[in-house]
Amino acid sequence: PGNSGDPQKAGPQNDLAVGPPVLPKGINDGAGTSIAVAPSHGISERVLGTDPKATVMAPLFILALCMGSVFIEYCSRGPDFFVLHQIVGKVYEAFLLSVSCRNLSTSALVERIPSRWPRPVWHAPWKNYRVISGHLGWVRSIAFDPSNSWFCTGSADRTIKIWDLGTGKLKLTLTGHIEQIRGLAVSNRHTYMFSAGDDKQVKCWDLEQNKVIRSYHGHLSGVYCLALHPTIDVLLTGGRDSVCRVWDIRSKMQVFALSGHNETVCSVFTRPTDPQVITGSHDTTIKFWDLRYGKTMCTLTHHKKSVRAMALHPNEDCFASASADNIKKFNLPKGEFLHNMLAQQKAIINAMAVNDEGVLATGGDNGSLWFWDWKSGHCFQQSQTIVQPGSLDSEAGIYALSYDVTGSRLVTCEADKTIKMWKEDETATPETHPVNFKPPKDIRRF
Amino acid sequence: MAALKELLPPAKSTGKLHYDLSNDPWFKQRYSAAEAERSEVVKTNPVPLYLKRESFRPSKPQDFGDGGAFPEIHYPQFPLDMGRKRDMNLGQKTLPVGVDKHGNVTFDAIVKQNENASKIVYSQHRDIVPKILKDEMEEEKEEDDELQKKIEETTQETKNALEKIVNVRLSAAQPKNVPTQSSDSKFIKYKPSQQSAAFNSGASERIIRMVEMPVDPLEPPKFKHKRVPKASGSPPVPIMHSPPRPVTVKDQQDWKIPPCISNWKNPKGYTIPLDKRLAADGRGLQEVQINDNFAKLSEALYVAEQKAREAVEMRSKVQKERILKEKERKEQELRALAQKARSERTGAAPAAAVSMPSDRSMMDVDDMGGDYERPKERNAPRETKDERDERLKREKIREERRRERERERKLEAKGATMGKKSKVTRDEGRDISEKVALGMASTGAGRGGEVMYDQRLFNQDQGKSSGFGDDESYSLYDSALFKSQNTLSSLYRPKKDTDGDTYGGDEQMDKIMKTDRFKPDKAFGGTAEKTGPRDRPVEFEKHAEEADPFGLDQFMTEVKKGKKALDKIGGGGTMKASAGTSMRDDHEGSGRTRIGFERGRR
Repeated sequence: PGNSGDPQKAGPQNDLAVGPPVLPKGINDGAGTSIAVAPSHGISERVLGTDPKATVMAPLFILALCMGSVFIEYCSRGPDFFVLHQIVGKVYEAFLLSVSCRNLSTSALVERIPSRWPRPVWHAPWKNYRVISGHLGWVRSIAFDPSNSWFCTGSADRTIKIWDLGTGKLKLTLTGHIEQIRGLAVSNRHTYMFSAGDDKQVKCWDLEQNKVIRSYHGHLSGVYCLALHPTIDVLLTGGRDSVCRVWDIRSKMQVFALSGHNETVCSVFTRPTDPQVITGSHDTTIKFWDLRYGKTMCTLTHHKKSVRAMALHPNEDCFASASADNIKKFNLPKGEFLHNMLAQQKAIINAMAVNDEGVLATGGDNGSLWFWDWKSGHCFQQSQTIVQPGSLDSEAGIYALSYDVTGSRLVTCEADKTIKMWKEDETATPETHPVNFKPPKDIRRF
Repeated sequence: MAALKELLPPAKSTGKLHYDLSNDPWFKQRYSAAEAERSEVVKTNPVPLYLKRESFRPSKPQDFGDGGAFPEIHYPQFPLDMGRKRDMNLGQKTLPVGVDKHGNVTFDAIVKQNENASKIVYSQHRDIVPKILKDEMEEEKEEDDELQKKIEETTQETKNALEKIVNVRLSAAQPKNVPTQSSDSKFIKYKPSQQSAAFNSGASERIIRMVEMPVDPLEPPKFKHKRVPKASGSPPVPIMHSPPRPVTVKDQQDWKIPPCISNWKNPKGYTIPLDKRLAADGRGLQEVQINDNFAKLSEALYVAEQKAREAVEMRSKVQKERILKEKERKEQELRALAQKARSERTGAAPAAAVSMPSDRSMMDVDDMGGDYERPKERNAPRETKDERDERLKREKIREERRRERERERKLEAKGATMGKKSKVTRDEGRDISEKVALGMASTGAGRGGEVMYDQRLFNQDQGKSSGFGDDESYSLYDSALFKSQNTLSSLYRPKKDTDGDTYGGDEQMDKIMKTDRFKPDKAFGGTAEKTGPRDRPVEFEKHAEEADPFGLDQFMTEVKKGKKALDKIGGGGTMKASAGTSMRDDHEGSGRTRIGFERGRR
């Protein structure tokens, strides 16, 4: 008695992590009764179970522990033979129990841990159904109209083209930038479209006149990403000058320069609640910003390579960030690290998007387009774009991708100057495309 | 309260946020010392007497009593804390060790210090261990209206904050906020001290108006603002990933990009492997694929050709045989006819001719004739004398002819080997119609459509009627008819086949042909004329007479002849002087010919 508040055992229970972070010091907690010993050794064995040598050693270890505890008990209670006998019987029982448990259900024990990993939901595989070849250069950015009738793409040929979503026909070509267009956004509160490019310019287009009506001057180098605040009339742009700038849309005034990154800010997104602005950078960090004061709220340093793409889940309070080493999921608003995606794309990931159904799509620099289950991080489809005829194989690369407003169509902007549209394969069923999911063997730190 | 405490398990740690240092054995020493000191301070230790203060170190305000510093103690002293640095304690770089609610030492306190204190900083091991979301159901998002409220609140707050900033900036940029310049002026009236006409233009009093100097509101700033580098945004945070993997050898090799070497220049002398060179060339990359059908086609063609050849051969053979047979048949017929005629004429038995073997059909007509004669001779005693004479005459003629034919044939056979032209072959080389047709002759067609004209007819007043000039100046053709064969070079050379008889055997011929003896290359020493190898026969020239520029000789001769010499002096004389290439100067009476002028050309 008196051992239930043992900090060693309580630690892992309070922890968010699964399993004990360190090897439990079984000798120390063996001071209790023999009954108390068994469960704690269950844990120790589970941990040791990963090592075959340790598995062999475990029973002996437990036996020794039990004898030790018996001896201690014996000392504390005095030489009462009956009690001693009882205790020895108990110890033996516990030992037998533990040994038989190990022998019978090692696999069950091993299986029990990954079983806590969520199972992936079945998603239909996606297939390419349309290729639009109209741009004369790399297609680098995309944005959808809130009414979901058209979308616009910005390209390295310095034009913005507006396409009909249903038919894929060109509706309009806008010129005005003098370098490639890296960021596009369509406001759902105004009839405005915003574009940003390598020419350091950020432009506001009035879609009623198809003209540039405002230009936001201030970036010292190319602008790489652009985002609109959902509730406030501010525009956020991040660029090669390693600053994310906050613009007042109406007055063209720069409200803040969110400085703190050491490298190019290459991805940004906004939320209505705090943290309202989240930026990813080539300095491998993700920063949360307090938009009221223009200060950092939090810095995440989990990535090893530059964070080129981030995607906010439409419903859940979490987001994913992609870098060349891994795709990681973080919780919001605190930014707790959740987990990695369970595969490595082995490419520079330029773009990422997630829809309502939890299908995360990532487009790589080598033309790989992978589809992931959001909840479990399982990659259920690994496809590769096919370059249009006349292109080199090395021109397979995805620069931007986005779901339409409903999330049923995916549009990718590629280095072979085409725009490709993808949809789910209707004929696919869980029988034809079974989920081949192997949960991670053990939950280790990433 | 006590009952409750008994019920509950003993507290793991005290409620204090900070660790109780007094219990720590490491701190025990220091803290106890500090406390002892404090208690000592309360006691007020007396200042040692003067001259006994070597070991005395006054540090506390109490050490000084009410007085100032001790000058004889060489030690920094701060009586009444005067001169002591304020933040000496703050500057200490030591953090107190704290514990979290589980009693673990919070080692990450160091990263949560100044600015980071208000931020979320992840530093624990558990922050990089994956967390499976507890059932999303239980951690359901806040209610919609609650969320809405939160959003609205945040929006409003942010909006206000941003508006404030924007307004400040906007108002700063507004032109109406330009500070108004005070336009009121001040008048100062004063009397100069130097009251004289020499000073101040003789004025005794002056009034000065003082106005503030107007400032151009749109004037650009006079001082350039230098951008001050901004302090880093926030203190550093722990790195939450493992160190990058060391670069493997393979990675390094993969990243090794060979230098670009031009196909034309290689000043650094890089070595280019042969296969790379070939690959860069791009020629060896395409493998030529030849269709099998080509081989099949050529094989089929070959087979077909063989067959066709065989067939042709066979056909020609058959044809030949047929012709042979035909010929034989005809000869047989002829022979039969002859036999018949003979037998008819002579009435002799035709059996002999009929019994003649067939191989004799190819015999000469003479033999036939011989055959033909024999029966006659046999029947000779029957004929008359006249007949006999006539027959003998005929036979004689026949014999003569035969001999002649024989001779001719022999000659011909000899001529074929020796090159001597027979009567038949002598005209062979002379017929050039074929060569002309082939375009080998340099006739008009060979000269690009130019028609050849007789040059002697040019530049003549009377045309053909005036004659062709003199025959010695042969300039009808300006080039040889056949360019291919050089007639001149072979004209006077002995030929092996034709002249072999005259010169003897081959040896002699060779000697003659190779000798330099008869080559007229030698020239006299001292002559200016160049002597190249001669390629044409030596031309003998008529000796040119002494130059007679004034025509005196001619005049004399003509006077002697009694002619009117003066008629032709002008024309002839001048023309002669002007090199005289034309035909006109060859008027009669002039002893010169063109040959004299050709001399200079050689």
